[in-house]
Amino acid sequence: MIPKQSLIEIVGSENFTDQLEELVPYSYDASMNVHRPDGAIWPESPEQVAKIVQLANEEKTPLIPRGAGTSLSGGVVPIQGGIIVDLSKMNRMIEISIENRYVRVQAGVVCDLLNRELAKYGFVFPPDPASSSVATIGGNVATNAGGIKGAKYGTTRDYVLGLQVVLPTGEVMHTGSYTMKCVSGYDLSRLFVGSEGTLGIVTEATLKINPLPRYAMTAVATFSRLEDAGNAIFQTMMSGILPSVMEIMDQVTLRSIKENTDIDLPDAEAMILTETDGFTWEEVEAQMEVILKIFKKNHPIEIKTAKGEKDRVNLWKARKSAYATLARVSNSFVLDDVTVPVSRIPELLIGIQGISKKYDIVIATFGHAGDGNLHPQILYDEYDPEQVERMEKAEAEIFHLAISLNGTLSGEHGIGLSKANYMSLEHDPVEMALMKKIKKTLDPNNIMNPGKRALDDRKESNERANSI
Amino acid sequence: MRGQIQFDEKRQKAIAQCSRCGFCRAVCPIFDLTKRPVTNARGKMILLKELMEGKLPATEAVAQAFLRCTTCMNCTLNCPSGVDPQEMVKQARKDFVRLGMDNLFRTMAETMAKYGNIYGEERRVDWGHKKGNASIVLFLGCVGTYREEESVKETLQLLDILKVDYTLIEEVCCSGVLEDVGYKIIEDLAEKNIREIKKTGAKTLITTCPYCYRVFKDHPAYQNLGLELKHITQFLKDFNFEVQTQKKVTYHDPCDLGRHAGIYEEPREIIRKIAPNFIEPLRTRENSMCCGAGGGFRGSFPKESVRIARNRLGQIIEETGADILLTECPSCLHNFRNARRQKQRIEIYNITEFIGKLYQEKDSFGKEPA
Repeated sequence: MIPKQSLIEIVGSENFTDQLEELVPYSYDASMNVHRPDGAIWPESPEQVAKIVQLANEEKTPLIPRGAGTSLSGGVVPIQGGIIVDLSKMNRMIEISIENRYVRVQAGVVCDLLNRELAKYGFVFPPDPASSSVATIGGNVATNAGGIKGAKYGTTRDYVLGLQVVLPTGEVMHTGSYTMKCVSGYDLSRLFVGSEGTLGIVTEATLKINPLPRYAMTAVATFSRLEDAGNAIFQTMMSGILPSVMEIMDQVTLRSIKENTDIDLPDAEAMILTETDGFTWEEVEAQMEVILKIFKKNHPIEIKTAKGEKDRVNLWKARKSAYATLARVSNSFVLDDVTVPVSRIPELLIGIQGISKKYDIVIATFGHAGDGNLHPQILYDEYDPEQVERMEKAEAEIFHLAISLNGTLSGEHGIGLSKANYMSLEHDPVEMALMKKIKKTLDPNNIMNPGKRALDDRKESNERANSI
Repeated sequence: MRGQIQFDEKRQKAIAQCSRCGFCRAVCPIFDLTKRPVTNARGKMILLKELMEGKLPATEAVAQAFLRCTTCMNCTLNCPSGVDPQEMVKQARKDFVRLGMDNLFRTMAETMAKYGNIYGEERRVDWGHKKGNASIVLFLGCVGTYREEESVKETLQLLDILKVDYTLIEEVCCSGVLEDVGYKIIEDLAEKNIREIKKTGAKTLITTCPYCYRVFKDHPAYQNLGLELKHITQFLKDFNFEVQTQKKVTYHDPCDLGRHAGIYEEPREIIRKIAPNFIEPLRTRENSMCCGAGGGFRGSFPKESVRIARNRLGQIIEETGADILLTECPSCLHNFRNARRQKQRIEIYNITEFIGKLYQEKDSFGKEPA
């Protein structure tokens, strides 16, 4: 373990803590994983980060980089103890270069604050995780965060031009370039995007930005049969139109919203919320017309459209309240992010309903149908061991189902601890071995966020999972 | 460890209800300043969870952590899981006191009991206006009375100009704040206030302080008040004022008036009458950021409290470019005035104080609007 005094010498006593009451909140994220760190540190510059990492590497002390800690996978839970490196104080927007279409920001910059700044120029950093009011760019990079507009605008990966990374040995590296195109050398930026802090600490990102679309139109359609909704989705995706939003909510979600809020909803098996956006009304309307035609062919119960901001907000109400409503009706929940090819969404939804019945546990599913990324939310009580067991079994089966449909364990939350045990479902032994080799090459002493994504000895991380 | 905190069913449910999403990071004024997770609502809900599960001992240090909350309620309104963390914090403060971990407000309570105000001041400015009998009692509160005397003077003058039939009373601290910091309201003080108020035969009680307003309205110690209660903005909203300013004016919603009492429209109705160039800050109404003064935070952490006010003031200046910042809370006013840097040209007033000033300027400059 690094001597406390050495860390204080780097950042000052006001930027280090080993006080129990401060370490307790750092033992958690938004998942059910928990483990105490030994300390927490708030570096204020990449130089400080480099010094911390050098020391940690010498002393073989685990380091866990952390942004807003909104992860749903246990990604920032210090399962082997060590020091939390909280990057929240490195929140400078270093350069906004509209003419070159990029921004250079420190890892601790909050997504919404970046976008508030960019909006002044009519630009946007498109990835919009639900946690964007607090989520940091560093966290976005670490988890390759996506969000509601993934189908049209992609995920964080698509916007990272370059990174400043402190490697696990303490050297500072710059990847990528400031250009829109770059094929010079291996694409190391991509290796770090979505690496969940296991390969180094991202301290700065150069991000591509987009012009902000000026107009958007919203439509909501409800369907009495899930199959019709599924058809409407993939027919839209085949139509040549790329909606900026294509969200689906299943019957359990809709019922829960209906019963627990004053939002009036028909009795439906599924609801789709969609948006088209663009730079003229004509463009936005023409796209929406195509989508509405497809919806109408698929036997909807009703369709509502909205152009004005106020009406649009109304149509968004049900979708926006999904997470909160479900969070309120149960003591505990896990929120997964399995993703399948778009045409397999109905199979995934029906499969999840079957699993829900089999284990007698409520699973509400909603999510980003346009890119196949769904969020099954399993409701249970963490203080009832029998319910915990059923939840775990149901979750395991959902992962198996997603993989069997050519899908993935995680579309945007990351593997962290929660899904580490399922990595081999998705990745063959050759790929797993190469991942481990990459990890070992970059981080020979396994100090960077150890115990995650089944990259080190799995047995060890499991034994420690519930010990505090 | 000196004993256990009891967790009843309601509390257990609230603790389980926190999904630890961390959305409170965006709105917590103390977290915004410190970036330390223990300072925001999620941090404290996690502390409570571990206290409940017996994983964390109830120590002085943990008790101290619960003092770091302004009870501004911004997290409550933005909590997707429907938790009311500031209520949990207030309850925890009481628990720690019960376990024998007194905080600095114990001395404040003694001061209050002895002097009848939070500062231990022996006498207040004599503004006159003690008619004894009037249809309205005006209750000023400690912060206005002893720390913002000039502001109070202008407010009183405005009421005179508007020919309001009011009287001041020999008021003592409403003492409601003690409930927020681990202790109990002082019944003797409440009874004295009730006696003084009733003596006047008034039909209406008006408070300038939104916190006093809340205490009179909600605390059982004042339930037998038996007269109509209004915050001064509710009372003045239907008046017409013969003054106006062309300057750019903005408004800061005090947490106690806005989120806690739901009074958002009345202050704005008044401001629109006197300031055609009224501009809202970006974070306003329900989303207004706290000035850092509330929930005993200024008393416990004066330096951090002023830095929070500085942040909020900076935010308001950046977002609005206003010449005048209005609010209607002596605590917000006091904290902002302490926080303002000399180079910041923005002027800060309570609404009533500002209108009072406009009337005076009108009189001294030959009826020209300011």
